[in-house]
Amino acid sequence: MRELLFVDMSTLSIERKPLPEKWHRYGGRALTDAIVYDMVPPMADPLGQENVLVFAPGLFAGTTAPNGGRLSVGAKSPLTGGLKESNSGGQAAHGLGKLKIAAIVVTGKPADPAARYMLTIEADGSAKLDRVDAWAGMENYALADAIKALRPADDRYSTITNGPAGEAGLKASGIAISDMKGYPNRFAGRGGLGAVMGSKGLKAIVVSDKGLPYLEHADKEAFNAAMKRFSTALTTHPVSGTGLPTYGTNVLMNILNEAGGLPTRNFSTGYFEDVEGVSGEKQREVTLERGGSVKHGCHTGCVIQCSRYWNDKDGNYKTKGPEYETAWAFGTDCGISDMDVVAELDRICAEYGLDTIEMGNTLAVYMDSGAIAFGDGPAAIKALKSIFEDGAPGKILGDGAEATGMKFGVAHIPVVKHQAMPAYEPRAVQGIGVTYATSTQGADHTAGYTITANILGVGGSVDPLKTEGQADLSKNLQIATAMLDALGLCIFVAFPVLDIPDAFVAIFDMAAAHTGDVWDTDELMRLGRETLTFERLFNEGAGFTAADDRLPVWMKTEPLAPHNTVFEVTDADLDAVYDFVPETAKAMGLR
Amino acid sequence: MNVDIALFAYLSDHQPDGKGGRYARTFDLPEGTRVADVIADWKLPDQPRIVFLNNRHAPEDTELHDGDRLAIFPPIAGG
Repeated sequence: MRELLFVDMSTLSIERKPLPEKWHRYGGRALTDAIVYDMVPPMADPLGQENVLVFAPGLFAGTTAPNGGRLSVGAKSPLTGGLKESNSGGQAAHGLGKLKIAAIVVTGKPADPAARYMLTIEADGSAKLDRVDAWAGMENYALADAIKALRPADDRYSTITNGPAGEAGLKASGIAISDMKGYPNRFAGRGGLGAVMGSKGLKAIVVSDKGLPYLEHADKEAFNAAMKRFSTALTTHPVSGTGLPTYGTNVLMNILNEAGGLPTRNFSTGYFEDVEGVSGEKQREVTLERGGSVKHGCHTGCVIQCSRYWNDKDGNYKTKGPEYETAWAFGTDCGISDMDVVAELDRICAEYGLDTIEMGNTLAVYMDSGAIAFGDGPAAIKALKSIFEDGAPGKILGDGAEATGMKFGVAHIPVVKHQAMPAYEPRAVQGIGVTYATSTQGADHTAGYTITANILGVGGSVDPLKTEGQADLSKNLQIATAMLDALGLCIFVAFPVLDIPDAFVAIFDMAAAHTGDVWDTDELMRLGRETLTFERLFNEGAGFTAADDRLPVWMKTEPLAPHNTVFEVTDADLDAVYDFVPETAKAMGLR
Repeated sequence: MNVDIALFAYLSDHQPDGKGGRYARTFDLPEGTRVADVIADWKLPDQPRIVFLNNRHAPEDTELHDGDRLAIFPPIAGG
């Protein structure tokens, strides 16, 4: 029986309660959404008493389901003002799964704003809050070391930590999750959830699963058989079996560039002439030269292995990846073609606890103001550090691209629902524009990754420059993604799942064999629709309307090279993406 | 006619000069050459590919023209 761990930061009390029956099919994003929807008034102050911060592993957490160890972090977002689910790899999800904790639910806030706490969950299931005021302002890697010094040498544990950006309430702050080596380098980055954790005085969570076995299944034989089919699909599909483990996520850089859809210098063109320096192929070559890692998982049980470590020129570990979105944000979007500069900016963000997509956009917008030049790496590093060091522009950067663009009078601010766009140009890839516009999360590529059919020829083909079929493509992917996030599966399983029909069957066979419940195609899709319905209804309550489901107007009026196209999907098509919500809400008893 | 050809990821090993790398080389090709002819002549592996011709997806039976830029990727993805 899974349980909820309630942690009340007002009374500093901890209570374990059974997971309510109504949520027994939920994990991950479905559960963080359900809890936030249930407990938080939509008009609540994101940094106030009423907001709730939820950490939920997916339904497959604690099992050997391949790539089934993703963690969902949910709350009302200080950045978007909507219901946020920020998704991360790292080790914490499986730890919580083995402890049979469906979610940690952090409520309230301490009376003393200077107080800092660490929540420790031991492998025997006990949990406690300790005062750690001396850690105030501590950066993530030092924090990981400080925690390590407190743990027994033979412990097996993971960390969830909050850097100084979250403590300062910055809207671009994210929450760090430790990887297999204990580095705090995986992030629930998007939506400012570090600020929510900071508002609750929670500096760190430690989850020990020392000696705990994988979970039992309702039907062990059936689970293992389905697991093997799923694993085979993942390791034999050319994308997840060869491309991703060889080159990592950043192999996309050259593809989007050739497609003319790589946002360059604050979304001013779709082609970066100096792309080689930040390309995935170059990254692999330099990583190997410097003795870094080019193939490992971000969590135990990953069979795709797209993670990597970047070493500095002396061969010392610098940071993870950098992932494609990060290499694009600090590289291409800032006109920078030097991966060492990207890695430095990435490490600074990891230390402070900042979302690299938001911060790359922020620096690009700042460059667009003329304050510093596009391509000036040292100036970009200095500007980012000014958030916590002396000098201009200072803390405003930590509130993200929109806040920075407004302060410095920039016309082109690439945001939707106040959240900055990832590494795909909507004017050259119309489908991703639909996802950016309509997603409950704000501009978020992972919410409905149309790059599959628009660019990569996975799961069919939809011309990226035409409007036909884009809304349906985005809608179906948004529902499917919400389902994967609820199960705790890595989004990259979608590549084989879209091409290999049995991989999809294997997912519900694993779910059925693990839980003993009936799972099939309809149930999986219902899980996705219900997840999105919580988000959509919460956002409506928070004041969102159809006007929030739009791209910035300049993307509809100013053509982008090299295709010289604008975003042309109609408002009617955008408004139809969430047409399933009223019926789903009614069936859920929410309306 | 002159056509720029760039090969990416592990396909770059198939550039005729044997030097690898992602930069485009210019080739003087006979009129009527199709994308599929390049794939066959360069001995690219028999697997799905992602083909861009002048920044647009192109079927492999597309005929090349003077001044074109052809970019070919193996089946890869990221995010």
